[in-house]
Amino acid sequence: MSALTLQNLTVPGRLNAVSLDLPAGATVALVGPNGSGKSTLLQAAAGLLPCAGRVLWHGRALGEIPFMERGRLAAWVPQEAQFEFGYSVRSVVAQGRFAHGDDAVGVESALAALDLLMLAERPVNQLSGGERHRVLLARALATAAPLQLWDEPLAALDVRHALQAIVLADTLKRTGGTVVFSLHDLRIAQCFDYIVVLHAGRIAAQGKPEAVLTPELLLAVFGVQVQIAPSLTLSLPPSLPSSLP
Amino acid sequence: MPSSSRQRLALPIAVTALVALALLSLAVGDMPLSLREIGHGLMNRDSLAGTILWQIRLPRLLVAVLVGAALSSSGLVMQAYFRNSLASPGLLGVSSGGAAGAVIAIAAGWAGFSLLVLPVAAIIGAMLATAAVLSLARKGASTERLLLAGVALNALLGAVTSYVLSQANVSFERNGQILFWLLGGLEDRTWEHAVMAFPIVLGAICLWPLGRQMDLLSLGADEAQSLGVNVRRLRRQLLVLSTLLTALGTAVAGTVGFVGLIVPHLLRLLVGPEHKRLVPLSLIGGAAFVLACDVLGRSVGGLRLGIVTSLVGGPYFLWLLRRSA
Repeated sequence: MSALTLQNLTVPGRLNAVSLDLPAGATVALVGPNGSGKSTLLQAAAGLLPCAGRVLWHGRALGEIPFMERGRLAAWVPQEAQFEFGYSVRSVVAQGRFAHGDDAVGVESALAALDLLMLAERPVNQLSGGERHRVLLARALATAAPLQLWDEPLAALDVRHALQAIVLADTLKRTGGTVVFSLHDLRIAQCFDYIVVLHAGRIAAQGKPEAVLTPELLLAVFGVQVQIAPSLTLSLPPSLPSSLP
Repeated sequence: MPSSSRQRLALPIAVTALVALALLSLAVGDMPLSLREIGHGLMNRDSLAGTILWQIRLPRLLVAVLVGAALSSSGLVMQAYFRNSLASPGLLGVSSGGAAGAVIAIAAGWAGFSLLVLPVAAIIGAMLATAAVLSLARKGASTERLLLAGVALNALLGAVTSYVLSQANVSFERNGQILFWLLGGLEDRTWEHAVMAFPIVLGAICLWPLGRQMDLLSLGADEAQSLGVNVRRLRRQLLVLSTLLTALGTAVAGTVGFVGLIVPHLLRLLVGPEHKRLVPLSLIGGAAFVLACDVLGRSVGGLRLGIVTSLVGGPYFLWLLRRSA
């Protein structure tokens, strides 16, 4: 069963007849140059933008799913983390349980998974940009939604938390979840199961990383040359506990 | 972060303050009454005190409580709606709309027909103002756009009021009436005014269960929708409620500024931003604040309510701006 299906998705001026079919249990990297429509695609897929075409979650048309149930089926993390009011970190993460009747299930483990336990009582509008992003990721995690749409989650994170976010996506995948990341770093994109390349509002390529990230495509879409060389490699130390709800 | 004991105690303290201020409001005036006299008067065992209480002070008290609750809670709603803690009923132009409607009704001489004309005109004016702001801001409907639309509308509606006031054919007496109304006050409020303001209670009941959804909305409309809130419906409900509450409050007491701005803001500083606490607290706290301002105004020799709230609210607002700058 596919987790997310897009059929001829069109947002005038931004997306042009995008069709996509993502399986359950996969990590997906959405890449493309600035302005290629990555954020628009994620917003439309999350049902937050009026658009032409069809969006299906787990085979069900989005229009037929009540709002409350949508909150349990998919989580969306915006690119910008702005908070006007000083809710505590814990209460923002607990908002992820709104569609579950505010039962607080998994809130603590979501806080732990993103290293937020120490910050749990702090007001969110006093956090740094990266910390705010971790709060949003923890809230998305707390929803326990099988479809996770994260808009550039790594851009604001330090290297360790970025690696943790990728490990987290991998853990969600193993429990049948589908995590879609938009991102810019093509070297990170290589670690994902699938890559979707957007270019000027259209899908330029999609498939397994090795099939998609060809030198020809990278030159055509991004205007860069590929060079394979040994370089600095980063990973999480084996002792680090990967705690997850 | 506000302590949990403060959060627990806030509501009992607010209720106690409201009751104490209500008794004080019944006690002070040209003829001061003791607690005992108030008791006797309310049970009509003392005919003079009974007349003062039942004819003058009780309706005034009720109107003050309802107006305070309405203005403060509609400010809270607008702050969540616009995701801006400086938003208030005055900002959208809703208060100005209500004022312009009432002023036109007075100048045209309609206000003499029935006591209902003034509030109905104020409600129509406020509704038109809200509709205008929304239609101006429909495309893209960003916060900035809405707020700017409110600013423009405020200026426009202020010009309407000034124009009516400057018309030579409006009698001196009606001009006086208009000014009296624009200043905002609780003088000569009767039971009819209290009855007119009663729908505020219904508005408060409708608002009560929306607190949790307001929490989510106040951190972003898209985020709220992705978490399961029907944002379009919620926004409509909030807009209708805040407009009606402001219009009713303005209709029975004239233009009373700053209540919707400073009461929710102070409460947020005290107990934090969660709306499940803020909704009841802003209803009760707003009522207590307006009562306190009214008692203060009366005890310094008849300063009108609108003047007192502005004297208290203006400096507080400036302090806020300085602090956030």
